[in-house]
Amino acid sequence: MSMISNPLLETKNVGKTFGGVIALKDVSFSVSEGEILGLIGPNGAGKTTLFHVIAGKEQPTSGTIEFRGRGITALRPDQRCHLGVARTFQIPQPFSQMTVFENVMVALHFGAGVHARSLEDEATDILSRVGLNRWASEESVSLPLGARKKLELARALATRPTLLLLDEVMGGLRPNEITEIMETIRQVRASGVTIIMIEHVMRAVMGLADRIIVLHHGELIAEGSPAEITRNEAVIEAYLGGSAHVSA
Amino acid sequence: MLSMPLPLFFEQIINGIVLGSMYALVASGLTLIWGTMRMLNFAHGEFYMLGGYFFFLLISSLGFSAALAIPIAISLVFVVGLAVQRIAVHPLLGRPQWEFSTLVATLGVSIFLQNAALHIWGERFKTVPYFINGTIDIVGMRLSYQRLLILAVAVIAMLAMWYLLRRTRFGMALRATAMDRDAAMLYGVNVYRVFTMTFGIAAALAGLAATMLSSINSISPWMGAPLMLKGFVVVVLGGLGSFPGAILGGIIIGIVETLGVITWSSQWREVISFTVLILILWFRPWGIFGVKES
Repeated sequence: MSMISNPLLETKNVGKTFGGVIALKDVSFSVSEGEILGLIGPNGAGKTTLFHVIAGKEQPTSGTIEFRGRGITALRPDQRCHLGVARTFQIPQPFSQMTVFENVMVALHFGAGVHARSLEDEATDILSRVGLNRWASEESVSLPLGARKKLELARALATRPTLLLLDEVMGGLRPNEITEIMETIRQVRASGVTIIMIEHVMRAVMGLADRIIVLHHGELIAEGSPAEITRNEAVIEAYLGGSAHVSA
Repeated sequence: MLSMPLPLFFEQIINGIVLGSMYALVASGLTLIWGTMRMLNFAHGEFYMLGGYFFFLLISSLGFSAALAIPIAISLVFVVGLAVQRIAVHPLLGRPQWEFSTLVATLGVSIFLQNAALHIWGERFKTVPYFINGTIDIVGMRLSYQRLLILAVAVIAMLAMWYLLRRTRFGMALRATAMDRDAAMLYGVNVYRVFTMTFGIAAALAGLAATMLSSINSISPWMGAPLMLKGFVVVVLGGLGSFPGAILGGIIIGIVETLGVITWSSQWREVISFTVLILILWFRPWGIFGVKES
């Protein structure tokens, strides 16, 4: 599975420092079209920072990011969104004084860049795909956590992405909801969307990912199939919280 | 005030609402800019001032009718607003300390525009005639057509703004940006275009207020500063970033001032508004529609 055909996204030696703190160091990886790539690592490993850098919220201190062979490092988040990069937030950030439906409409209008009247049907369709239709007319500020997580997914899908970055969409969900969202993610992939997912729910990431990369203290320490990763000693060491520098 | 005949009292209330509706126009621009960009625009009074001068020049130098001069003057101020945002504000956004640097930059623009106006148009106060003369008597109240026209224009402008914010694609982008700039960008909104347009619209609202008030107040290079300060009082009263707050706050300040002036004296006008400001800051610093920060 480490065979790389037609990379959709490629990061080359990406580094990010905040003041003196190294958040990412020399991160190079790629994801192929149609793949589900799992991104795991202990808390503070730099996973969300890597998403910020890919989606454009943060500029990398060094290195480059290519999407479909084109450098996107200098582009703004909205420009990357228009090229097909969408993400969710780990801590949901809905437009709080808008309804769930309006939230999805914003992403359809500006992310997918379509003006047609039929958008309302598409918004309804997306909400039913993630199981949120009964919440459609609620103000998003009043949603429980599980529904907020689903709204993050719905908004990201509404931008009609080719690459979807999922930042812990399962966190805080009940087991049956996790099963539902896993099924939704499978369907999203089947529709041709490539996915990178940060996930702490191991059942989900092991069940969905074709390949997993592991980040620890801002560096990639392992890459492989789910089965390989679970046997990798450096990964086990990182998760068990051993010393900072473990050689594989 | 209590010895005042009832019709005169209501007449003053209506005059207060008319004045307040103009404060609301100025304040709603300030609150839009705060709401979307989280910055204070100290050049706002000069947008108002330029609206007054453009209107005056169109009428007195070019002989335009008021009906034609008003939309042209507003459009010109709109363009000035866009230019100020692109030239003075945009390059600073996102840089370290931009909250402070944009404040200083707009203060600089304010001083620049005041002095430019002084050089170009001189220090003599200008006036324009009433658009319509005459008064109407309604149940013992004597109201001038001019003031009623101002009120009607303010109501139409506010309804237009409501439509823009609630029913248009641009309004959706603006509200999304105001609620969460980062999320708006990630879902494809070009927030920088929203910022520029917001400045233009805010400037146009101030320009509209100037064209309406130019026949009542006179036009001078310094006419903007007191109105901007009044605008800040209104915005704090209504709640920073709240559009309905700017409207209600403007009307409240307008009524309180008008009643205060006839009770005491017109010299006390500013004292009254700023007393209101201090009281709000003591008792309800987040304003009428604002949200208390925890």
